[in-house]
Amino acid sequence: MNTDSPDESPPPPDPASTTRRLNPRIRVVWILRSVLVAALLAALAAAVGRFVETPRWLPALVGGLALALAVPYAIVRYRRWSYAIRDDALYLDRGVVTTVRTVVPLVRIQHVDSRRGPVERATGLASCVVYTAGSRGADVRIPGLTPEDADDLRETLKRLAIRADGEDAV
Amino acid sequence: MRLSPISVPYRALQKASTILVALFFVGTSGTIGGVVAIGIGAAVASAALAYEAAYYRRFEYEFTADTFDVRSGVISRRDREIPYGRIQNVDVSRNVLQRLLGIAAVDLETAGGSSTEGAIRYVSAERADELQREIRRRKASRGEDGEASGFETAAGSDVDGSGDSIPTGDTETELFSLSPTELALVGALSFDPRLIGVLAFLGSGSVPVLSGYLPTTTALVVTITGVIAVGLLLVASWLIGAAVAITNYYGFRLTRSGDDLRYERGLFKRYSGSIPTDKVQSLTIADNPAKRLAGYATLTIETAGYAPGQGGTYGSQAAVPLARTDRVRELARDIETFGDPEFRRPPGRVRVRYAIRYAAIVAVLTAVAFGVDRVIAAPIPWYGAAGLVLLAPVAAHYKWVHRGYWLGENHLLTRVGFWKRETRIVPYYRIQTVIDRRTVFQRRWGIATVVADTAGSGGFIGRDAAALDVDAADADRLREDLTVRLRSALADRRARGASFTESEPAETESGEHAPDTVENDTSDAAEHRTSDAAENEAATGGFRWIADEEPSSDEEPASDEKPPSDENPSSDGRTGSDR
Repeated sequence: MNTDSPDESPPPPDPASTTRRLNPRIRVVWILRSVLVAALLAALAAAVGRFVETPRWLPALVGGLALALAVPYAIVRYRRWSYAIRDDALYLDRGVVTTVRTVVPLVRIQHVDSRRGPVERATGLASCVVYTAGSRGADVRIPGLTPEDADDLRETLKRLAIRADGEDAV
Repeated sequence: MRLSPISVPYRALQKASTILVALFFVGTSGTIGGVVAIGIGAAVASAALAYEAAYYRRFEYEFTADTFDVRSGVISRRDREIPYGRIQNVDVSRNVLQRLLGIAAVDLETAGGSSTEGAIRYVSAERADELQREIRRRKASRGEDGEASGFETAAGSDVDGSGDSIPTGDTETELFSLSPTELALVGALSFDPRLIGVLAFLGSGSVPVLSGYLPTTTALVVTITGVIAVGLLLVASWLIGAAVAITNYYGFRLTRSGDDLRYERGLFKRYSGSIPTDKVQSLTIADNPAKRLAGYATLTIETAGYAPGQGGTYGSQAAVPLARTDRVRELARDIETFGDPEFRRPPGRVRVRYAIRYAAIVAVLTAVAFGVDRVIAAPIPWYGAAGLVLLAPVAAHYKWVHRGYWLGENHLLTRVGFWKRETRIVPYYRIQTVIDRRTVFQRRWGIATVVADTAGSGGFIGRDAAALDVDAADADRLREDLTVRLRSALADRRARGASFTESEPAETESGEHAPDTVENDTSDAAEHRTSDAAENEAATGGFRWIADEEPSSDEEPASDEKPPSDENPSSDGRTGSDR
């Protein structure tokens, strides 16, 4: 879907209110994570196999199945992910099985973090977490940004949030 | 100011009681000598007493000009200043023993975090009431001369007509008190399911024992015993629920003094607390078929990060446990003035979806019954469960009837549930984020769920205001609408706040608000604004949801034409805050 927008280029750093996508490398992060999960599942199946009589190829099947599901999922997930900073709010659109569109009015932003986990550091990525006072405040997380973009986004959001006058936070 | 001296032995007893009880059992069982046990007990008790005496000496609280200070801690010291404007609730609770001793526990709650920010354990009962009143008074007087800086305080005044009722003392008007008949009804309508859970847990261990007897008995005996057991269980649960509810809500009173609501309740453990109306995030009116038939409903008030009266007891969140429906509506309108709702239901086609879902549940039940029939020797009419399928369309219809949302002038109202119907009232300016969710199944039916998240505390249990299963195009509109309405509501409030500042410029910025650093940065914002505003506003490309581009083009106007209209409230908001 959405073939007209440039898939492979990282999001532009300027705070223009265009729809932005994640860095394509995020797929690597997600696939790596699913490889880990698949390996774990396969190990689990192997461990079960030691106690219960199961076919020998079961661990391979479990791991392979998990991977076969996870890789397309990561790719589709990437294609579905987009976000935009508009004048009034931060918009997120994501989700494969359940699509979720979140509108975070800039006035409501409490604080913004840029974060780098171990896997993200390994792939040279970072994410940006936006907090609101809402009951599911930390739900708004934008993964797959280059560290500079994450910092930029943080600064932009901070500036916009202040401009939108961060009163009435609660 | 100090704690009550009685708190020293009381707290020591509290701390040492578990150890003393354990020692008693160890001592009487003869593992160690009685003398040794008494010796250890005395040592523990005196250590606890010494610690508590030190705690008492080190614990100080006082009122300053704009904060309430608590200094505490024996080993690590902690000085805490809580600005009056940030105090959400002041709760006083007293259990039976505390009432005998004439002491009370005072809890100060702010919006930040889930734990209690200021716990004062314990002061004399009179002092507790005094504290409650004094904090309320100071908050209110702070609101008088610092209203513009404390937007929270400003928030309250336009709910009930621009601060006309700043309390000066003890002017309390009673809003509601629970009559004995209503109390009896609360009890009668309460049902405590915990016993069933406990029994199920205990029972799970005895199944092997029971199944030893099962094959030898006939189906009739099994059925009769089962029915009697279930009946007894239900009656017991009901009695327990009634007892809990009655002790909880005994002597319930809701009063209003100025901008605060005050409640009192409890038979053995007495609770009293204040709920500032300007911190109210949302209201919930709940009822069930029995209550609807009798014309009663429950009103719950939710404030940020904390629900008043959370004593960990069952159902203690309810602000008004039970009152006639019109009374509840009146009370709710007293707090949030919303109009007469006309709920917009989900599209009719979702009834089919619900019916299919219920039919699937019936199919599962039938399968389970069939499985049980195969395991147990005695034949069970398992196919009887399949008959329930006839009820699926009826249930689906009623589920549909009770769902809906309504956009009022200043409030979003959502309604859901047949057995426990909840109507949630959320002022637009309390909305934090708007979330639109569509599962695979929902997408197939062309419907969506729109959640308006607030800072309320009930979010974890899925009690957000949600417009469930609305039409997809409707959801797009609703999402945009809510954002726009939030913005204009905020702009409105700010404009009012700004005009208030002009008329009364005195010491508005002097109030210290530790929590909101953002507000303190507004001067920065003014500088940024000139440079950034131009470049940001230059690019006003509308945001397009990716998914909208392929399935249907008729959705696009909903999300595409809105941005220009968004501009107005935003610019209003900025000029309003310019001051």
